[in-house]
Amino acid sequence: MINNLSPEAVAQSTQKLVEYIDNSQIIMIPGGFSGGDEPDGSAKFITAFFRAPAVTEAVRRLLNERDGLILGICNGFQALVKLGLVPFGDIKPMDANCPTLTFNTIGRHQSRIVRTRVASTLSPWFNHCNVGDIHTMPISHGEGRFVAPQKVLDELVANGQIATQYVGIDGMPSMDMDVNPNGSLLSIEGITSPDGRVLGKMGHTERSANGLYQNIPDLSYQPLIEGGVSYFTD
Amino acid sequence: MVSRIYVEKKPGFDVEAKQLENELRMILGIEGLEKLRLLNRYDVEGIDDELFDRCIPTVFSEPQSDVTYNELPEADGAKVFAVEPLPGQFDQRSDSASECIQLISQGERPDVKNAKVYYLCGNLSDEDVEAVKNYVINPVESREASLDTVSTLKTSYPEPKPVEILDGFNEMSADELQQFIDQRGLAMDLADIEFCQQYFTGEKRNPTITEIKMIDTYWSDHCRHTTFGTQLTDIQIDDAVVQQAFDEYMQIRHELGRDEKPVCLMDMGTIGAKYLKSKGILKNQDESEEINACTVKIKCDVDGEQQDWLFLFKNETHNHPTEIEPFGGAATCIGGAIRDPLSGRSYVYQAMRVTGAANPLAPVSETIPGKLPQRKLVTTAAAGYSSYGNQIGLATGQVDELYHPGYAAKRMEIGAVVAATPADHVRRETPAPGDVIILLGGRTGRDGIGGATGSSKAHNMESLEECGAEVQKGNAPVERKLQRLFRRKDACRLIKRCNDFGAGGVSVAIGELADGLSINLNKVPKKYDGLDGTELAISESQERMACAVAAADVDEFIGYAHEENLEATPVATVTDDERVRIFWNGDAIVDVSREFLASNGAPKQMKVHIEAAEPYAPSWDGNTFKERMFSLETDLNTCCKRGLVDRFDSTIGAATVLMPFGGKYQMTPSMAMAAKLPVDGETTTVSGMAWGFNPYIMEKNQFTGAYLSVVESVAKMVAAGFEHRNLYLTFQEYFEKLRDEPERWGKPAGAVLGALMAQVNLGVGAIGGKDSMSGSFENLDVPPTLVSFATGVGSLDRITSPEFKKAGSKVLCIHPFYGNDRLTPETKGLLDVFDLVEDLIASGKALSVSTPGYGCAADALFKMTLGNRIGLKINDDVDVDTFFTPAYGTMLVELAADAEVPASTDDLTVTFLGTTVESYTFSAAGETIDLAELEEAWEEKLEPVFPYRAKGEKVEAISYDKKLPLVYDGTIAKQRVIIPVFPGNK
Repeated sequence: MINNLSPEAVAQSTQKLVEYIDNSQIIMIPGGFSGGDEPDGSAKFITAFFRAPAVTEAVRRLLNERDGLILGICNGFQALVKLGLVPFGDIKPMDANCPTLTFNTIGRHQSRIVRTRVASTLSPWFNHCNVGDIHTMPISHGEGRFVAPQKVLDELVANGQIATQYVGIDGMPSMDMDVNPNGSLLSIEGITSPDGRVLGKMGHTERSANGLYQNIPDLSYQPLIEGGVSYFTD
Repeated sequence: MVSRIYVEKKPGFDVEAKQLENELRMILGIEGLEKLRLLNRYDVEGIDDELFDRCIPTVFSEPQSDVTYNELPEADGAKVFAVEPLPGQFDQRSDSASECIQLISQGERPDVKNAKVYYLCGNLSDEDVEAVKNYVINPVESREASLDTVSTLKTSYPEPKPVEILDGFNEMSADELQQFIDQRGLAMDLADIEFCQQYFTGEKRNPTITEIKMIDTYWSDHCRHTTFGTQLTDIQIDDAVVQQAFDEYMQIRHELGRDEKPVCLMDMGTIGAKYLKSKGILKNQDESEEINACTVKIKCDVDGEQQDWLFLFKNETHNHPTEIEPFGGAATCIGGAIRDPLSGRSYVYQAMRVTGAANPLAPVSETIPGKLPQRKLVTTAAAGYSSYGNQIGLATGQVDELYHPGYAAKRMEIGAVVAATPADHVRRETPAPGDVIILLGGRTGRDGIGGATGSSKAHNMESLEECGAEVQKGNAPVERKLQRLFRRKDACRLIKRCNDFGAGGVSVAIGELADGLSINLNKVPKKYDGLDGTELAISESQERMACAVAAADVDEFIGYAHEENLEATPVATVTDDERVRIFWNGDAIVDVSREFLASNGAPKQMKVHIEAAEPYAPSWDGNTFKERMFSLETDLNTCCKRGLVDRFDSTIGAATVLMPFGGKYQMTPSMAMAAKLPVDGETTTVSGMAWGFNPYIMEKNQFTGAYLSVVESVAKMVAAGFEHRNLYLTFQEYFEKLRDEPERWGKPAGAVLGALMAQVNLGVGAIGGKDSMSGSFENLDVPPTLVSFATGVGSLDRITSPEFKKAGSKVLCIHPFYGNDRLTPETKGLLDVFDLVEDLIASGKALSVSTPGYGCAADALFKMTLGNRIGLKINDDVDVDTFFTPAYGTMLVELAADAEVPASTDDLTVTFLGTTVESYTFSAAGETIDLAELEEAWEEKLEPVFPYRAKGEKVEAISYDKKLPLVYDGTIAKQRVIIPVFPGNK
């Protein structure tokens, strides 16, 4: 729990987070509206925290020295993109050519069940999936449109860093809003770092449990967390 | 020193500017507008240049999507102006910017002020610019800002003056007292203020202004339901059915030994539950002295074990604030609805929103002067409610909007929530002398003064100008922290009693916790200096709670609050005499007896005249079945509302059992919302909630309309798989200003009696309700409104949805007989229908179930086809006229292939209506309708207001399987995952 009641509490929270990261193998940044998605753009609160030098170093130790994993969903994905952890695999300053997640083309929040197709199993998070697998899951976000210069997109495709795409009932990705709720380029739902150990995605794989969404036929669960865990245990 | 930066979205990222540009052209008709530029301006004080520069690409902007300027860009002929929030209003953008800067600096939070700068390019007249300003500036929350630089953001607050003692008050004549009410803008009437005068004469002193304002709040309709408590005398009833119901009501009073109690709307509204309880029909209600939310005791399955839990629910309106400032008003509607069950120490996990508006497709030029356009109201209120709900992480299970011209008088904005908690988390005790009251959550400011009394006042042309201080902005991240704290057993077990700050601020929220209290206002945390004692005592604020805890538990409780990143401050103690004393700067500015406060003012009396009802028989134009179906499905009240609903987070919490829209195509609206209870583990216990109401029946016949609201809400719950015997009701009444006219009083009286008879006949009791009697604007009134919410818990395996599942299924219509009015179902038959459908669901024979509402069976059947694009062929012997006749309580059932059609009985009829078909068509009366065409008409009706579709090209599917995933080559003893929780994370 990040505490910002006072400057001392902020410093303590930073110290605590560093300790916890140093004792973990996985960092998971969940969804939500950190700081209310303000000022005018999502995840600034989280990125401000992770850009503290001590936290950045702890993240690097987890990735580079201990071969750990990172997962960010929704607001967490926004944070990973805006830190550079996806697609670059490291926390770095942003420039105009970096990919980003911005406001949905419809200009408001979108919430519904979508279908996604696995495009690459480079990431250990997809240890239990195959390319072409189609899963159903909720999305719920206002800023999920993945945007990047064409050159960056080409590289991501070539490196297998595009993890998942939104697809329609026919299994095909599309720019149609019914398929791709935010207008992401290439209908991208999730991307990874070059080695796949950092994954960011918009779809809420974790919003799944026995008996949910009973009025949606043919639900198909994405065994993502299981994949990440099996990376360490199998 | 103040640093300033301007931020503008790059082309392609400028969604907000493009949308506004479009609105200004299309809605406002500013045709000369060629381009609109929108810049965010940030002023920051208290940080050095180096830190400020570091914040530019991380906090204020993103290099990928934004351009920044140190100076205001050249106008180039554009008209430029800036808009800022009113001082004192909570501004999330500035607040979050300040918090982000602190995270980077790890120092103090700097002052940040945000303004928006508008560039209007094109050939525009002064009138055009003025029109745009009027459109974007709502004077109750924002104002035009200067384009000049500023030297400081600090405001100097004059030392507040001592609280005024009202010399001469006790000697005022009746005329002078009336003048006093007008001058001071009080909501109380002459009898109330004379009652105050008597009291203070007895106290041998004149009151302070704080005392008068506090009493005004205490006795306001918002806090004390003055209208509902008014004794009804001389009741004249012109309608035989209503007269009979009234006689039955008097008989029930007699049976319950309540002959001596005054006849009032409150008695009519609450006696149904008392009666059902006396008969043993209504069970498990959890009653206490605490006033939080309706609470029932339930059994909840947790990992196979049946545990004792409490289930809570609450509905709330924010009609007045939403009408004048739709974003903040609707946001605080849901915020307020959450806080009642939250103060009952339960976790709120699902919400419903039911709203009422006039035609949002009407041109802006038809807007009533002094009002916001309906289109702006419906879209901005939806944005406000969803913004708050989404941020706090509350799943919104169902959203609907009703359209009736009467809601031009004042919008209807209702939020309803369900909540639950293990029973052993809640301790309920009467606070004892020496106990401490802790104020938890947000700080007090000047916004939120007069909300309770304001919403109880009539509304006129000047409201938009004058009500600034009555508008509050919600701060969802703080309420999220309260939710986290109140989910903790260790913290909840310390709370003896708790109250939220919804209406009336410190004086009411703390004043209600115990009979004797001593409150020190100097301890109340403030947003800024300069607030005087009266302001501190009566300012409401959204995200605050007052908790009574034992003196020995104070430190422990505050510790838990700090762990959840919340401020907590002891501000009062419980005393042993029955007086409320409020101290400020050492003076007792309030010192009144509990007895006087609790009197609720001077008793009120009113004559009532319930007039004869008019018949209701809807029709949709057309000669053929197809024409009638097209008229019906392009009716505002039946058409597709996906574009409205999709903006509400429906799945947060991973507990949603029914999506708002069902089927492969997610198009069939669900009958009810349903969610698993928020247990730590696995559960099969599910709660649901459904609403019922048709303004077009209620405007003709309040009694029958309200009766049918109840029937509809219960029928929807049965259709969704809940059992009617396990349901509870809560009502939302919303009526015109009643004035002193017996005919106007007759409307709520008729409605409440109708709802009472429905409770008695159906055996389902109302244990909660809220009323608002302010739905008038000059000569325009809202339609008489009684929305019934049916709720309760059931079992996961019974949940059923209305979209057709298969081709080749038989579709049945199971209906009771209807009375002479052709609207009211006969009681025995209705209950038999419920029993039969509940059996069909339990045995798995019902694949899908729906029940008709406003759009009758025709609409219900059409919607059943949408979700999976399964058509329907109606049998030749069915008269389609019956599809366009009201049929509240009738059930439409898709029967499993191997199930037998149940037999009709003396009280209910089972009709084999037709068969589902593969082709996406609807055949009846010798015609076949192409459902794709009808669906398109249904979908596009409200799209100009609530868009949700956009065509796009196919993209290539990417398939990469060149590299194998990495393999972890270490070994670990135990996996650990760190999940940092930031303010606002779920």
